[in-house]
Amino acid sequence: MRLRILVADDHEIVRRGLCSLLQKHEGWEICGEAADGRDAVEKAKQLKPDVVILDVGMPNLNGLDATRQLMQYDANFKIIVLTITDSDQVIREALDAGARGFVLKSDAARDLVSAVEALQHKRMFFTPRVNDLVLAGFLDKGHAISRSEPPSLPTLTAREREITQLLAEGKSSKEVASLLNLSTKTVETHRSNIMRKLSFHSIRDLVVYAIKNNIIQIDMPPQIKNNPGSPAA
Amino acid sequence: MTVRILLVDDHPIVRQGLKTLLEGREGWQVIGEASDGIEAVEKAQHLLPDVMVLDVTMPRMNGLEACRLIRKRAPGLEILFVTQHDSAQMMREALDAGARGYVVKSNAARDLLEAVEAVSQHRTFTALHGRAIIASG
Repeated sequence: MRLRILVADDHEIVRRGLCSLLQKHEGWEICGEAADGRDAVEKAKQLKPDVVILDVGMPNLNGLDATRQLMQYDANFKIIVLTITDSDQVIREALDAGARGFVLKSDAARDLVSAVEALQHKRMFFTPRVNDLVLAGFLDKGHAISRSEPPSLPTLTAREREITQLLAEGKSSKEVASLLNLSTKTVETHRSNIMRKLSFHSIRDLVVYAIKNNIIQIDMPPQIKNNPGSPAA
Repeated sequence: MTVRILLVDDHPIVRQGLKTLLEGREGWQVIGEASDGIEAVEKAQHLLPDVMVLDVTMPRMNGLEACRLIRKRAPGLEILFVTQHDSAQMMREALDAGARGYVVKSNAARDLLEAVEAVSQHRTFTALHGRAIIASG
């Protein structure tokens, strides 16, 4: 029986690369592609793939919140999270959300096939750094992965996180309402609740919060004039 | 028309995606790949491609620096930047460095083939904010 895979990444070139890599594997097929988290959730529910590959930094709904939504819908989903960073926070959130695989985008050409194979055989796949963190958690070290750590700010609901992402991406309440099939008044009520919960007074505060908490990701501006040799450019 | 292309990007999965797209065009051939600016300069001199598809943000040596060096060492080679930076300032830097074209990565699937075709014929191709401009010479 063929293994059916759904691939979600907002960059078509990256999706092409991922699909090309996975399709070379005998017995695997790409059953669908998605360009943002919301599209991925809808297609996963509809297509019921064996494995879902989700980029973290996608517009409209990020890969971590898409993972949460899918796992809430059906805990049997097997999800691999693709990310550009293996920071402690992203790892912790991916594991908490229910991802069973964690692959760095820079290593995808090397690790992704192994990750899909692991999930196919009901195992998990993590990078060495994730393994270290999980082990540290097991040993109860200082930077352990813990679900009991108090959040630094009040926790947002899943709906509030979705709306936070869309507002931080620059969408108006009306646009958010249209995307989520809500009334503008409902979105504005959510928006007020979010700002009150977080004690924020401006959208700028919300954008900073969204970046710090991996709700949205931004491209670092290049430093081209001052240091042309810098790899940052 | 045959076009020999050198692909330069630090992410193998992006190179794979670009390669799949480019080799779908009859006669176009990806003759080499590089993952940073230093490797790009070396392979440009060694392989003498018609077109180099070059990323900006890379380790060891970024694409702008590599572009400047390649323009001096292999002046006949045309360079097309494919980058995540949808920025007029960055595009100006790229053209000043000697590139013939500039495409934003998020639109690469749409713009890349047209851009490679243009630069391979020594025409300028730039696309910012979803808007493409082709100029002769």
